[in-house]
Amino acid sequence: MKTAIRHRSALLALVLGLGAALAHAAPKVGEPAPAFSAVDSNGRSVKLTDFAGRTVVLEWTNHGCPYVQKWYQGGMQALQKASTGKGAVWLTVLSSAPGTQGHVDGPTANLMMKEQGAAPTHYLLDPEGRVGRAYGAQVTPHMYVIAPDGRLAYAGGIDSIASADVDDIAKAEPLARLAIDAVLAGRPVAKAQTRPYGCSVKYAN
Amino acid sequence: MPPHITAFFRPLLVTLLSLLPSLAPAAESAPSTTPRATVSLLSASDALAPGQTVELGLHFRFQPGWHIYWMNPGDAGQAPRIEVFAPAGSTVGDLRWPAPERHVDGPITTFVHQGDVLLPFPLTLPATLSGPTTLSVKASWLVCKDICIPEEGVFRLELPAGAAVPGSDAPLFEAARAAAPVRTDWQVSVDAAGQLTLRGAGAGALRSADFFPADWGRIEHGAAQTLTVEGDVARIALVPGAEFDAARPLEGVLRATGADGVERALWLSTADQPVTRLPVVTLAAGDALPPSGVPAPLAQSPATGETGGLWPLLFAFAGGLLLNLMPCVFPVLAIKALSFARAGGGESSRVRQQSLAYCAGVVLSFVALAGLLLALRAAGSQAGWGFQFQSPVFVAAMATLLFAIGLNLSGVFDVGGRLASAGSGLAERGGLAGSFFTGVLAVVVATPCTAPFMGGAIAAALSAPAIVTVGIFVALGLGMALPYLLLAFFPALARRMPKPGAWMERLKQALAFPMYGAAAWLVWVLSQQSGADGVLHVLVALLLVALAAWLAGSAQRGAPRACLWRAAAVLTLVVAALAVGRTPAPQPVAAASADGTYSPQRLADLRASGKPVFVNMTAAWCVTCLMNEKVALSTAEVQAAFAARGIVYLKGDWTRADPDITAFLQSHGRDGVPLYVYYPAGGQPVLLPQILTPGVVLAHLEPQP
Repeated sequence: MKTAIRHRSALLALVLGLGAALAHAAPKVGEPAPAFSAVDSNGRSVKLTDFAGRTVVLEWTNHGCPYVQKWYQGGMQALQKASTGKGAVWLTVLSSAPGTQGHVDGPTANLMMKEQGAAPTHYLLDPEGRVGRAYGAQVTPHMYVIAPDGRLAYAGGIDSIASADVDDIAKAEPLARLAIDAVLAGRPVAKAQTRPYGCSVKYAN
Repeated sequence: MPPHITAFFRPLLVTLLSLLPSLAPAAESAPSTTPRATVSLLSASDALAPGQTVELGLHFRFQPGWHIYWMNPGDAGQAPRIEVFAPAGSTVGDLRWPAPERHVDGPITTFVHQGDVLLPFPLTLPATLSGPTTLSVKASWLVCKDICIPEEGVFRLELPAGAAVPGSDAPLFEAARAAAPVRTDWQVSVDAAGQLTLRGAGAGALRSADFFPADWGRIEHGAAQTLTVEGDVARIALVPGAEFDAARPLEGVLRATGADGVERALWLSTADQPVTRLPVVTLAAGDALPPSGVPAPLAQSPATGETGGLWPLLFAFAGGLLLNLMPCVFPVLAIKALSFARAGGGESSRVRQQSLAYCAGVVLSFVALAGLLLALRAAGSQAGWGFQFQSPVFVAAMATLLFAIGLNLSGVFDVGGRLASAGSGLAERGGLAGSFFTGVLAVVVATPCTAPFMGGAIAAALSAPAIVTVGIFVALGLGMALPYLLLAFFPALARRMPKPGAWMERLKQALAFPMYGAAAWLVWVLSQQSGADGVLHVLVALLLVALAAWLAGSAQRGAPRACLWRAAAVLTLVVAALAVGRTPAPQPVAAASADGTYSPQRLADLRASGKPVFVNMTAAWCVTCLMNEKVALSTAEVQAAFAARGIVYLKGDWTRADPDITAFLQSHGRDGVPLYVYYPAGGQPVLLPQILTPGVVLAHLEPQP
């Protein structure tokens, strides 16, 4: 039923010529995840298709954002290690445009990761916001999980309590962790589309 | 206290005490001020009656571009949260949100409040209530412009018992009520495609409509909305969002322009029953905020570890004690030493009286400073310790005053006569009044040096109610006056004071030179603030003061027609005062992008790039800061250590008020310079003491890799 509604709404949007809706054409959960390629912090080109058949986690970041800082006091690093340890690919994506908060170059990103003990598979540099816009990433941290079949299995918040207070992590429902674990175990994700919270992604205007 | 002392101080005390109530406005809390916003708690009525429902409100005044978020923040952001501490049995209602504004930033659309915003909410008091009531509110909000900063504030309102008459802020609440979204009597429905249909009188006359959903994700926040009208029906095509469900109620605010071209905010709901949401305003357990509930500074220095109970007072006392050892107090020590020498000749009871007078001078000056701080705080100014030395007029006046004291010590003119136009005369006057004003002067000159422990005490004072602030400043004053008091009450020490004699005059003349030195230093400070024009102003003023002193001295030495000489002296002084009063305002600070200059962005960038950073917050008027730079930071030893570890040295100059530096100081629980913070690569920031030696600095740097 929900899918039907979405199809009809998409049709309506097209019929009415609501071009603006295309700017918000975030991929829907259950549909194929948009393909992308980007350069990582070591200068290597990374494509989504490189990881066909594996579980891929996308994490939008901006080290200046208090909500990201809340999670980089240990929580994000632990989730990265736990997920990659179980076979997932973790891609941290930085879509801050040059001159905006959080924008760094590859070497700086590597230094920062070392300093923080972060352990993503790749740290993708997306200064033009192409990957971010393709996924409709709105906030940092915005989380996506792509199932081994290439379909988007989760889009939304890192957890259920929208705050910048690190003490809330323990009280919140760990939405992203639950989704990652479910996809890794081949189970359906109970809450596949949730509310992301955080700072706006600092796209180029 | 002997009766004649009481008689002398009573008028002063009465005056100061009468000022206190006006420092704590009845219906507005002390504001929380950051470079982004000024926030305070208001009450619509100036008094509280049992069982009454009173309208409270958080009043935000934002700097341009900064905003907070509506109940549904949109694609990013977060709505504020408010926790109310009220007498047991009270109940609160939720916020009566004003209509939001749409904020589009590329592909991200948020719903925000900016400019001047009141967020009102009702509080119903229990039927049993007596006496004045203290209401505390703890609020947290996310304020954003290009970047987002979570902020927190604690606000206290003390309201007397009485009839619930509208207070002075009632018009603000009235205006908020008038602008609040109005519930329509239109029939509202939404279909599965996300089309919102409004039926009713006037709906067909809508010219434009912008719908803000009350709940997140029900529609695409940033998608275009298309309005079509037909008869008495308006249809708005919305794009369903991630949480869209036509079977659930859709509610929100419609900014709509009718046939008259006027935009109104309407509240639309497809539900017959009110929809319940998680409240933004909650009642806290307990009726008062515990002292430890005061938000702790981001980084704790040992001095600010405790903010509750007696600790701020103890720290303030210790800080005051240490102030005696600060270089800033040095010029005044000259006067104090002189007073000691004089007092030493008298009887011990006289010494005691004088020390009490000095103590009173110090303490009352601190009370006056507390009053000033409270007044500035109330005015929304970012008052910090040393604040007054950021005013060029104040610096020029102090330079002139110290120069005049020097002239007096040099013997150009005598005081005790009628020329009591300046504090110098007062400070140098013998007897109790002289001791009293010596105490006043000691406080004024000590201001820019923040002794260790003081930062925490003042930070607590800034966030505390008026009466606690006054208490802290009294403790500071007592600490500063204690050594003098001890000497007076332990005659064994006092008797070691030298006997009066001819040496006193020579000593007095010698002491003029520290005064000239201090004046010269202040002229240099002014040159940093107001440039060459400022220096010209103050030099002209000094010249005129010297002329006035010579004229007055001539009259005192029996020149014929003394009254003419005196009149000329007074006239010259008036011109000097005018010159001081017209000291040019600070020049705008040059863009702070130069290498080695502190800016929050620069610090963040350096930290992000993994470089260790040493931050030095200083000001030209802070002698402690300059001494530390001279004896520790600029030594070859320390410089070599910085270079070996790749430490980037950032310096923030607070000579002129700089909101970024004020914010940095406050984030470390301080309200004055010096402040030294070392950020190791990837480690927690380390606060250094306020008095540095090369050894102290090296001990705080991590071992060389």
